[in-house]
Amino acid sequence: MNSVIMKKLIPILVLGLMWTSGVISQDVQQFYKQNCASCHTIGGGRLTGPDLKNIHERKDEQWIKDFIEDPLAVINSGDLYARQIVEESRGVIMPKVGGLTPFIIQSLVDFIKEESAKEKSVFGGSTLADSPLTPSDIVKGRALFVGEMPFENNGPTCIACHSIAGEGKLGGGLLGPDLTDVYGRLGGKTALAAWLSSPASETMGPIYAKHPIDESEVLPLVAFFKDKASMNVAEAGMHDFNFLIFGFVGLAIVLILFDLFWGNRLRSVRRKMIKGNL
Amino acid sequence: MWWNNVETKPGTGFPTRWEDQDQYKGGWELVDGELKLKSTSKRKTITNIFHNTDMPTLDDYYEPWTYKYKELFDAPAGDDQPTAKPVSMVTGEYMNIEAGPNWDDDLSGSPLYAENDINLDVLSEEQRDQLFAIERLMMFYFPRICNHCVNPSCVASCPSGALYKRGEDGIVLLDQERCRAWRSCITACPYKKTYYNWNTGKSEKCILCFPRVETGQAPACFHSCVGRIRYLGVLLYDAEKIEETAKRPDHELVDAQREMILDPFDENVIREATKNGIADSTIKAAQESPVYKFVKDWGIALPPHVEYRTLPMLFYVPPMLPVMSAQEGESVRNINDEYFPDFDKARAPIKYLASMFGGGNESHLRYVLKKQSAIRAYRRAVTVGDIDLLEAEKALLESDCNPTEADNIYKLTSLCTFDDRFVIPAAHREEAIEMMKDPLEHKQTAGFGFRDAPARGM
Repeated sequence: MNSVIMKKLIPILVLGLMWTSGVISQDVQQFYKQNCASCHTIGGGRLTGPDLKNIHERKDEQWIKDFIEDPLAVINSGDLYARQIVEESRGVIMPKVGGLTPFIIQSLVDFIKEESAKEKSVFGGSTLADSPLTPSDIVKGRALFVGEMPFENNGPTCIACHSIAGEGKLGGGLLGPDLTDVYGRLGGKTALAAWLSSPASETMGPIYAKHPIDESEVLPLVAFFKDKASMNVAEAGMHDFNFLIFGFVGLAIVLILFDLFWGNRLRSVRRKMIKGNL
Repeated sequence: MWWNNVETKPGTGFPTRWEDQDQYKGGWELVDGELKLKSTSKRKTITNIFHNTDMPTLDDYYEPWTYKYKELFDAPAGDDQPTAKPVSMVTGEYMNIEAGPNWDDDLSGSPLYAENDINLDVLSEEQRDQLFAIERLMMFYFPRICNHCVNPSCVASCPSGALYKRGEDGIVLLDQERCRAWRSCITACPYKKTYYNWNTGKSEKCILCFPRVETGQAPACFHSCVGRIRYLGVLLYDAEKIEETAKRPDHELVDAQREMILDPFDENVIREATKNGIADSTIKAAQESPVYKFVKDWGIALPPHVEYRTLPMLFYVPPMLPVMSAQEGESVRNINDEYFPDFDKARAPIKYLASMFGGGNESHLRYVLKKQSAIRAYRRAVTVGDIDLLEAEKALLESDCNPTEADNIYKLTSLCTFDDRFVIPAAHREEAIEMMKDPLEHKQTAGFGFRDAPARGM
């Protein structure tokens, strides 16, 4: 009985392995673009995270692998270099990347090594951020943020999940963090542009992988965020509070309406009779 | 959930004050000459789709309870008797018993229940006071099952079409597979005789023991009635007249319903009935029906609350409580020596009875009570002989009766046998089934197939 199952299982396992390795060897570049490029360049200077060029010379391979697998664990282990990275990134901690296997991690390390050797890597930093920001960019960025103008590739509009100071009567969505200070938090124009080109967070990654933000839309958004960065974060918090108040008021109105409609419904005849209210 | 219960009148019954349709919204009402359900309409259904209103609450039925009998045995030694405390069978918590299904039985409970009988609303303040005066206090029993109405509001209200009135015998049934727990019938039935079963998620009602009726037996409550006061028989009626009948004004409804019921001896009726596929055995049963005699021949049985316009097919012989006596010193003297007591002075006020059985029309009640007392006097003259027989016969004629009819009424009410009380024709289920299924479907095949085909899984 067991041997029968094993015979069936073996080909399946082998096929599975072949499939995975095939994907990685072809698509490690794609994987890097979707998951890493928003914070890391290879030879293009630091964005939110450090430049990864020649990282294998800075740290040994096992350390790099451990860090990719679970950054927070390495940071919490008291590793001095890891702490230094966090400080340099102004407290932004690298998120755990979903779907990692030892095989993928190895491929990534190899890929970074390979790209470091090149004079100019494909991830050598975007030229996008070199263009200057104009006032018309701010207007377009705002339109994109609040959804007045749809994204080129039909990606969801920002305000659906994020709030930003001064936009939307009831603030924006509460799923994602408030973006008022995102310009400063992520480290300025270049880093923000890189992030927007391929958002890598657990929530945004899968959504924008299929509907990426177009290059022509990145810069206006950056301009808009920069404009907002001067605003007060506490003001953004007021929107959440207003939203809560609005929720309570709405609830009260609905309950009052219910009572008006169904207030004289039959509650109990016997009780009324005993109280002499019939 | 009491499919069959006996209430004490005056009293509020089960559920409390079920006759109060201002609260419970049961039955039909006439709106601009059209019959409309009081409880259900498209607008009401949509606006109340998440909450079916106007249903009796648990409190109106009663919260079922039991006692912690174990405490009687477990109690530690003490100065006082141990008690078994009541616990709710719904929550399992200790509870304070405030009402039960028959709380006002025999005017018990508290005067509150008798006083709040809605039929007393027609009486004047003085009459009501008299009713509850110690020496005059009266009560009678009111047994209730589903009335298997001709114009059932429960059937009309059901959004799933789960309720239906059987063509072959008129029994109103609730299909347990089609019921979708809308509970419209609970509100729509003015007699509150459909109940919602919270365990099965389906509504239930009296089925008039149709498996017994189909096999020629009387329904269980009819069969077991110790007073032998329940009768069952066939009535033929003209279904085309239902709507017209139900639209008549309140005080004409009793007469209108009687007109709707057809004479099974009439040649035309027999011919039409045969043409419509009614079996000869059914027509014969209709001719021997005790119910037909009570309702049409003698006119002494009346439908309950006919003003709900559901045309109930259960009829009651109203109670006679004419005996008036007064205490004089040590002895009690009968103060009414007439053959016909003054019904306006009777202990059960005519108005009150008319509110229950006459749609407010007192003449039907006078007729019934007069006939009953004349027959009593007549039987007294025959058996005891202290009343002049001629005078008694004269009284009979005055009350639209004659000695033969009086004898018949006497026999069917007092000396009746089982077969007199229940004249149930063969059910002819085979004919009913033919309407839906081909009885020869499985001829020359093996077995009858599956009722529910076997399938894997739960």
